[in-house]
Amino acid sequence: MALRESVQANNREGDLDVVTGRRDGDAGVPHGAFLIDLANAVAGWHWDEAGALRQRGIELIGPDATRDAILVAAGFNGITRVADAIGIRLDTRTANASAGLRAKIGIDAFAPAEKWTA
Amino acid sequence: MTATALPVDPATSAAHAAALEAIAEPGAWWSGADRLAIVRAARTAPTCALCAERDGPTLTIQGEHDNDGELPPIAVEAVHAIRNDSGRLTRRWFDDVIDMGMPPEAYVELVAVTASSVIVDTFAQGMGLDMPELPEPVGGAPTLERSDDVEDAGAWLPLAREGRANILRSLGLVPSALKLFFGTFGRSYYIAPDSQFTLDRAQVELVAARVSAVNECFY
Repeated sequence: MALRESVQANNREGDLDVVTGRRDGDAGVPHGAFLIDLANAVAGWHWDEAGALRQRGIELIGPDATRDAILVAAGFNGITRVADAIGIRLDTRTANASAGLRAKIGIDAFAPAEKWTA
Repeated sequence: MTATALPVDPATSAAHAAALEAIAEPGAWWSGADRLAIVRAARTAPTCALCAERDGPTLTIQGEHDNDGELPPIAVEAVHAIRNDSGRLTRRWFDDVIDMGMPPEAYVELVAVTASSVIVDTFAQGMGLDMPELPEPVGGAPTLERSDDVEDAGAWLPLAREGRANILRSLGLVPSALKLFFGTFGRSYYIAPDSQFTLDRAQVELVAARVSAVNECFY
């Protein structure tokens, strides 16, 4: 994904710690902390919290940007299910380029050996 | 404080409505009525007692999910597991689903319908709207479509031979399922030709990455 590649290019691995929830912050992205809160609420189907964040988003980043964040979150709530339900593996190029980084920030823990063991 | 409604982009509304209309039509391995039943099963999954009781790092198929009898039990298992526990799906769980009578092609289509409905319903609820009403099913028999233009790429199922990334190839065994899902997903990322966001690219990627992490998605 582009964020991962951007982080690697800029040597800011701590930003991915924010993405994986290991620490708080904005990941170096404008209004990043708010967007992470909104992503958490939408992906976790916490609708009361999402409602409060919608109102905050209107003031903070505007209604169109708030809507777009919800749209992206909704889409990735679907596509992650496709990836997990088909058991696809990381593309070779991405796997090779990010092996060390994935291990360091803990993403590999999302794919235990049982994932592909018959 | 009075809640302010967000503006819904007409193109997104049209894409999501088109997805539900497409789901109501006969698919490759499920009828239109079956496909709508898959959506209803996904909608009831959050309150399923069996799903709430299942814990541990991986899923084991046992017990009966809350359901209305519209779908075979193994289909309800698959829909609920994909909707509620996608981060805990394993090869062994998938093999059990197939061994219990789900043809692989029917599974691919079920994945596409479930995930498409997750997008449509998550967006509606995220916007503070009701989940859309489902259309009436369109009659007709499934086409039994299956692509031979697939290859083993280390996934649980063969992927489309062509494609820039594994995720874009993932539903290739049933091309109509691939078309349904990416038609629904398209406006949520830089897939649809006219996709554009008020957010900048880094903000879009941050939301995408965080949702992937919440769902414990390795990919």
